[in-house]
Parts: sequence; C-alpha cells; structure tokens
Amino acid sequence: MINKTWTVWSVLGAVLLSSMALMGCGTGDDADTTDAESDELVIYTGRSQALVEPLVEMYREQTDREVRVRYGSDAQLLAALAEEGDQSPADVFWANTTGALGNAAEEGRLTDLPDDLLGMADYFVPSNAQWTPVTARFRVLAYNTDRVDPEDLPSSVLDLPAQSNLEGRFGWTPAYSSFQDFVTALRVVEDSASAATWLADVEANLDPNSYTSNTPLVEALAAEEIDAGLTNHYYVLRKRYGDAKVDDESTIDPEAPIAIHRFADGDVGNLALVTGAGVLQTSTAPEAGHDFLRFLLNTDAQTFAAETVNEYPVVNGIDVPSYMLPVDEALQTSPEFDLEQLRNIDGTLDLLRNQGLL
Amino acid sequence: MLPTRWITFWRDHLRDRWYLLVPVALVVVGVLIPLAYLLVRAAQADPDVLYRLVVRMRTLELLWNTVALTGGVLVGTMLLAFPLAWLTARTTLPGTRIMTWLGVLPLAIPGYVMAYALLGATGSQGVLNQVVGLPIDRLHGYWGAWAALSLGTFPYLFLNLRTALLGLDPAIEESAQALGYPRHQVFWRVVLPQLRPALLAGGLLVGLHVLGDFGVVSLMRFETFSYALYLQYTASYDRIYAACLALMLLALTIAVLVLEARLLKGLLYHRTGTGTGRPATPVSLGAWTGPAYGGVGFIALTSVVIPAGTVVYWMASAAQTGVPWGGLGTALWDSFSASAPAAFLAASLALPVAYLSVRMPSQLTAGLERIAYLGYATPPLAFALALIVFTLQVLPFAYQTLGLLVVAYALHFMAEAVGPIRSALYQAPPNIEEAARSLGRTPLHAFASVTLPLLRPGLIVSVAFVFLSAMKELPLTFLLSPLGFDPLALNVWSYANEAMFADAAPYALAIMGFSALFVGLLLVREKTTSRQTHAAPMS
Repeated sequence: MINKTWTVWSVLGAVLLSSMALMGCGTGDDADTTDAESDELVIYTGRSQALVEPLVEMYREQTDREVRVRYGSDAQLLAALAEEGDQSPADVFWANTTGALGNAAEEGRLTDLPDDLLGMADYFVPSNAQWTPVTARFRVLAYNTDRVDPEDLPSSVLDLPAQSNLEGRFGWTPAYSSFQDFVTALRVVEDSASAATWLADVEANLDPNSYTSNTPLVEALAAEEIDAGLTNHYYVLRKRYGDAKVDDESTIDPEAPIAIHRFADGDVGNLALVTGAGVLQTSTAPEAGHDFLRFLLNTDAQTFAAETVNEYPVVNGIDVPSYMLPVDEALQTSPEFDLEQLRNIDGTLDLLRNQGLL
Repeated sequence: MLPTRWITFWRDHLRDRWYLLVPVALVVVGVLIPLAYLLVRAAQADPDVLYRLVVRMRTLELLWNTVALTGGVLVGTMLLAFPLAWLTARTTLPGTRIMTWLGVLPLAIPGYVMAYALLGATGSQGVLNQVVGLPIDRLHGYWGAWAALSLGTFPYLFLNLRTALLGLDPAIEESAQALGYPRHQVFWRVVLPQLRPALLAGGLLVGLHVLGDFGVVSLMRFETFSYALYLQYTASYDRIYAACLALMLLALTIAVLVLEARLLKGLLYHRTGTGTGRPATPVSLGAWTGPAYGGVGFIALTSVVIPAGTVVYWMASAAQTGVPWGGLGTALWDSFSASAPAAFLAASLALPVAYLSVRMPSQLTAGLERIAYLGYATPPLAFALALIVFTLQVLPFAYQTLGLLVVAYALHFMAEAVGPIRSALYQAPPNIEEAARSLGRTPLHAFASVTLPLLRPGLIVSVAFVFLSAMKELPLTFLLSPLGFDPLALNVWSYANEAMFADAAPYALAIMGFSALFVGLLLVREKTTSRQTHAAPMS
C-alpha cells in the first residue's frame, strides 16, 4: 500500500520534471531561431510592468513583430546587460531614471539615434544623442494637508533645514535615484560644499526618516507618520486621486489628505527629471527599436503617460489632466539644467556616504 | 591527505551507490558557480575604494543590526512555533489539522506585503486605531522588522518541529517518567534534546532568511547588510563592490553554518531496540483548551488574518477596475509551471545530500550539506547574475528558458528542503534498511521500500517550503525567466511598487489562495500516510 502511494508520488514528480524539461527545451529553441532571424523586439525596462504593459499592448497591435519585455529595476537590468555582454538579446533599454541612461551611455551600451527621432521630443533631449526622453517628472515637497499649512512651507529647498516645525516629522529617500539626482543638481547649481552643508543641516535639524523609495514615503505621509517629505510629483497625485480618472479636481474628494508644495520658480527643489529610452549596441533589430521609440513619443503614448501615470509629456500639444499643473507652468518651476550633468553621480554618493546615509 | 580520504569514502560508501553522485555534483556545481562569480567580481575591486567602503563605522552598525535582528527573530519565531507545534502534534485538541495549515500560511505571504499590512494596521491612521481604538505607534525600525519577520518566518521552525514531534518515539519519555523524572524534567532532558536537529534546521532557515531579507527591512527602515547590499547595486549600478558586500554577508552566513554543524555533531535519534515505533499518546488539555485556542487564534490573527485582510481591503477599493481574470489565469499558470517542478527538483536534490550526511557522517558529507546552504545564503541577485554569465558561456541555448529558471529556484531554495528530510532521516532506523539489504535487495531498492516511506512527512514539508518560496521569488524571476514570463509575484511587486495596491491585490490573493490550496493538499496526503504507516507494522 505504501509502495503504491509512493508510485503515484514519483510518477507525479517525474511528469512535472519532464514536462518542465520539455517546456525548457521548447522555449530555448524558440529563442534561438527568433533571435537569429531577429523578427522579435526585446525590451529591457526598469519601469514597472503596470506602467509599461498597456503601452506595449498598444504597440503590439500596430506591428507584425513579436514584442517581448524583460522587467526589473534599472540597476538589475544594467547589471544583467553588463554580464550578458555581446550575447544580450535586448534591443531597447527603457529606463526609469536619468542616471541609469547616463550610465548606459557611459558604458558604451547605447547607439546614436537618428536625427528625426531625436527631433520628436521638444524638451530634455540630451546632447549625446544616444537616448530620447519619454516622460518628465518633477521633484516636489509633499505635505499632509491636515497637519501642515502650506503658507508655512519655504520658497526654496535650501531653507528646509530652518523649518523647525518639521523636526522629527520629515521624510526623504537618500538611497533613491531621483533624490540622488536632485543632490547632484544641487552640487552643480550651488557647489559640493553647500550640498554637503544642506544634507548635514537637514540631518541635524529635522532628524528625517529615510525611506527606501517614494511609495513607502507617500504612504507614511498619508498615515501621518511624517508631515512632509521630498518626493516626485506623480506619487502624490496618484495617492491623492487614486485610480479615479477625473478631469476636474473639484468634483472628487481626495483619497488621501496630501498635496504638493512647489518651491519658487527656478528653485533646484523643483528639478525636472526624465525617464527615457535608447537602442542597445547589441540590438539585431535597431530599426525596430527606433520604431518603438517613435511610438513612445506619439500622441497616444504620451497621453497615456499623462492620464494614467500622471507624468508630463515631452512633446508639445499633449493635454494633461486638469488636476496637474499645466505643462508650460510646470516647466517654468524647474531650473534650466542640462540633464547630461546628472551623470556625475560619484560625488553625490560620496557626500551621502560621508553623511552616513548610504 | 584529502584524496586518500575521498578514495576511502568512495570505496566504503559510494561504489555501489554511484548514482548518488549525479545530484550531488549538480548541487556542488550549481552552488559553487555563484560563489566563484562573486570572487571573480570582488577581485576586480580597487583596494582603496573597497577600504573606504568597508572600513567605516557604518559597517559595524550594519553588522550589529543584522546580528541583533537575526537573534531577535530566532527568539520570536521560537516563541510562536514551539507551542503551536506541540499543540498540533501532541494534543487531542480538535482542529489540529486546520491549525497546522494556518501555521504554514504565513509562508504564502510575500515579506513586503506582510510589512505593508503591519504598517497599515498600526499608527494613528491605522486600522487598529480607526476600527478598534487601539493606538499603537506605526511600526518601524528594529521592532517593526522583528514583528514582520517573526510572523512571516515562524512556519519554517513550526513545521520542522512538528514533523520531529510526530516522529518522536514516546518510549524514551515513558522510561524517563518511569524512572521518576517529573514532567518538566522529561521535557528538558529527554524531549528537547531529541528536537535538536529540527530546531537547528528550522532555526537555520529562519536565520538565513533574516540575513537575506530586503523587502521587510527596507519598508521598516531598519538597515542591515542585505539592505546595504541592495543599495550598492542600486545606487551606483555597481556589481563589483556589491560582490564584496555579498561576500561579507556570506562570511556571516558561513559562521552561522559552522556553528550549526558544531551543535549537530554526533546526533543519533532513531530507535535501536526491537519492534517498531508508535505515535505518542496525545495529551488532553482539559482546562487549558480555552487558552490554547486563544493563543492559536492570536497567532493566526496577526500572521494570516491581518495581512490577508489588508489585501482584501486593497481589493475592495478596486471595485471599479474589476478583477483581471485573464491576466490572473496566465500569471497563475506561469507561477505554477516554475514553482511546482522546482519544488520537486529541490526535494529530489536534497534527499541524497541529506542521506549522505546523516547515514555516512564524515567531514566530506557534512561539508556537502553546508554547501547546499550556501546556495540559499547567496544573495539572489548575485545568484542570478552568476547564472547569466555561466549559461551564456556554457549553455547559451538554455538562457532565458523555463528550465533554467526551475533549476535556479531549485538550487537556491534547496536548503529549505534539506532540513525536514534530515530531521526525518535522523529518526528512521538504519537497521531495517540493512535488514532489507541482507534479504538481498540492492541499496536503492532497500532505501526505496523501507526508508523512503518513513521520510514522507519530511519530504512533503520540503516540497511545500520550496514551492511557497518559489511562488514569491523576485530577483531570480526578474533576471532569469523566459522573456514574457509573467508570474503572480512579478505582478504583485510591480503594482505595489507603484502604490497601485488595488491592482496588486488580486494577484497577491491568488498567491495566497493557491499556496494555501497546494499546502492543504500536501497536508491531507501527509495524514493518510501517517495513518497507513502506523496501521501497517513494518518488520
């Protein structure tokens, strides 16, 4: 009797194992043949599947090509690309952060893009011509509307350390790329010494909570663990308005008592950052890659980014939901800044390490 | 010196069991590849930069945090697991099967979901304060991480202990009692020492899990080594210094492994007398029934109901978007098609490893078993990168295939499968296997017909552990899965990471529900066997 149940057990195991082996071989052969003929477009993206999949689905409808996506964080994918080397199956790298694109360009992983493609975006096109911006986001100070009067908030991010009412009630994300990009900008706009002083003063005066990323920070803000924090604008909008698709802010109650405070126009605290994409050196189908990049800059895709993700378009003439600051006004808040300069991240990491934040 | 030892070992043990070498070789190669990878990468580091990164106060802080958290969680899980194991294995309390099932379920909940749930439950705006009027500070730091990790990992200890308690021969306890030892002394001097392999195996898994955890400590803002390691990969897109940190983490793990091996030395817990073991007579709890249910209820409430309730609450706020049934189906199939084969493969690999180390104890086999644990302790991101390099160099056709993903899961999670099998082997008497051999059976046949049935509860737990872990795994899945592979775990993470909790909810519920179902099925099979085993004396 025991042997009988054991037979069932082992047969089950054997079936599973062999089916797995078969599937494994099957996919292997698939990948092999399609790769050689390169009738497939492989995208590596550090953006969330939730934000990418609908767009890829739209693109699939208008192309004959098989489109496959590998998801991961920017850092994971850059590490994977480095280890894959020449054998990488990837055609397009679509990054969530400006720093990751800078790194990919510096490591020589990206190819030059054709001029017509580079001409599509109206803002933030990098001088190295190796990637195109896809969407823009802004650094902001988010605050809890039940606990903070916006009148009391400073007009420059440099004055934050003097904000004694936020002591022990302030959050930031020193390990997160967009915060680090902001510190790099601070180093460029002011200088390294002032950036170091600013970090030290915030540490000393506000005793900030350090969150790993923006989502937990915004959750903590809504839960009144903190009263204000430095983050990206769209996390606040998404938390405030949830999944509700509305055109008029006045018609719905916010889902969370949080709001955006912008510093004075041109303040480095309002820095604009971009997500972007480029075609990889290893691509066997660069034309297809360019085609996909053009798709990301067309009206449908840009509108999707604005309406669903609440990020800003990088081409003119796209409407954003009315609860977002209009594009031209938003652009005015950010300092004039060549995003190429964000490449120099090492000095920033040193500052953060010296401050014990990394 | 060493070669002679190998030759002797070969002659004494392996010549007529050569087939054991196949899985063993796979394990050794599979685990040493990532290690070699890390060493190669770390060797590329610039010593000055490395010195600046490593030799600073922060490293000591991280070390202290990591050790303190690991120790704390070990105590916490012990407090949760021990009473629950005893209740479900040794009492007449009705409903022990459901309690067992509830005691496994926390493993079906991804760590970051558990953390988000506890964060959502506590604090002035938290559910506990808003609904029940219980104002607890919003969890964070050491105690936040401690709570989430203790609640999420105690099943490792619970299942190991329970399996051991079920297999314990009551004759020794009875002898001790007959010799006049009071009950509590019997427990301390007779029962507890016999539970040592299970305690160590479960504790080891809990410890290694804490050492490697990122999801919980990052949300609770408690900085440990694995957190620093993650930052190194993320902040500077740097795999070289990250490799150095990973090696430091591995060194810490090796210390734990050596310690465990010391504690495990010279154990022998099977029956040596004639006849066959029987299950212990269950204890009736009497007046303690109420408090016992209360305790179990509390554990279930905090470790299962709160996180599951949180996800249901997320889901409710998504009423307008509806449930994406189509996406759920594909995701469920993708999850299952990788996790189930991985679970069986891991158990089949762990079986020879555990068998060799228990039945042919030597430095060699002990070392082999430790190697299996190293695979678990290698940070999954480094593990994945190593396998990328290896497959592209050696087996390019296997790159980004389901087969590779399954093997990666199995090698990485095999350590979870070793413990329960090992505990069961300690209790299975080798003399009946020898008897079977003296009756003319081959070693394999003797093992399969006599010992294997006794290992069944252990094997079931092994399969369940690996399955549940593989269902939740992220870094290996991100980097090694076939293109377009879209399992549940990736969906949950992707949505939760964007704060789209409502969209994450159906996928998280699917992981929990499906895992619960799978574990339930395994436990039902366990029950039928143990009854059969006891009904049919094997002599």
